[in-house]
Amino acid sequence: MPENTPKVDCRSAMQQLWDYVDGELTPERMTAVQRHLGECAHCVPHAEFAERFLAALHETRDVRCCPQDLRSRVVAKLKEAGLTVD
Amino acid sequence: MAAATEGHDTRDVDFAREALPYMDDVYRFAYSLSRNTADAEDLVQETYLRAFRSWHTFQPGSDARRWLFTICRNAFLRSREKRRHEVEVEEGDAESLASLAAPEDARRDGLEQLLSRVDLAPALQRALDELPEPFRSTVMLVDVEDQSYDAASEVLGVPVGTVRSRLFRGRRQLQEKLREYARDAGFASAGTTGKEQTDA
Repeated sequence: MPENTPKVDCRSAMQQLWDYVDGELTPERMTAVQRHLGECAHCVPHAEFAERFLAALHETRDVRCCPQDLRSRVVAKLKEAGLTVD
Repeated sequence: MAAATEGHDTRDVDFAREALPYMDDVYRFAYSLSRNTADAEDLVQETYLRAFRSWHTFQPGSDARRWLFTICRNAFLRSREKRRHEVEVEEGDAESLASLAAPEDARRDGLEQLLSRVDLAPALQRALDELPEPFRSTVMLVDVEDQSYDAASEVLGVPVGTVRSRLFRGRRQLQEKLREYARDAGFASAGTTGKEQTDA
């Protein structure tokens, strides 16, 4: 771990938690929060909960898909508009 | 080149390869905007027709999905005659505070158990559908469709700070809806006051 990584306390780690789990922090900040989580038993369950929550949200992708008949209709419309391939 | 040998227009081959595979993604986003099947289907058709007609403006190598989402949102706004009734959100510093339930609360409220359920996705999908705009489309783009804050900002035409703020509020509302669901499903522990039973 780089020595010059900024230190974060619990409050700062919690403030940056969503950005951290979304991978939206700078590399230095990502490292700093990760290091804090590695050392802090209080904050780690928050991060685990956030990750599980986001993973569950992501799984909703499989619930709703484009209906096959709509797919066919879209391709048919595109062909009418000049598309020459499926 | 294969397209040339098959006699297809290269432009059409590129469009089919780059844009058509994302119809599920566009449909989900269209549904999140319109919240009903008929409008979502119209929106998908409109999105793809507009995308095909303006394919020459697509930058090769850029993110086709992001481009389609942007077209989809613009088509939605046009279809509503720009009747924007979105509640703009403040971007105050407080927004950056974690919106998570404390883990001990999540455990007590049954949220943790709920998140372990394999069949949670349909309930979560319903909660997402009920989420008001502009939170719904923002959560959809970032949390379901894996768009970065920058990408969502571009698609939605708002600053990154607004994306962050909408995510914060949207996720908080979703957790609240899930908490209700956990209570209804009997996951919340009876002793929600945290007091121990003493009537032995």
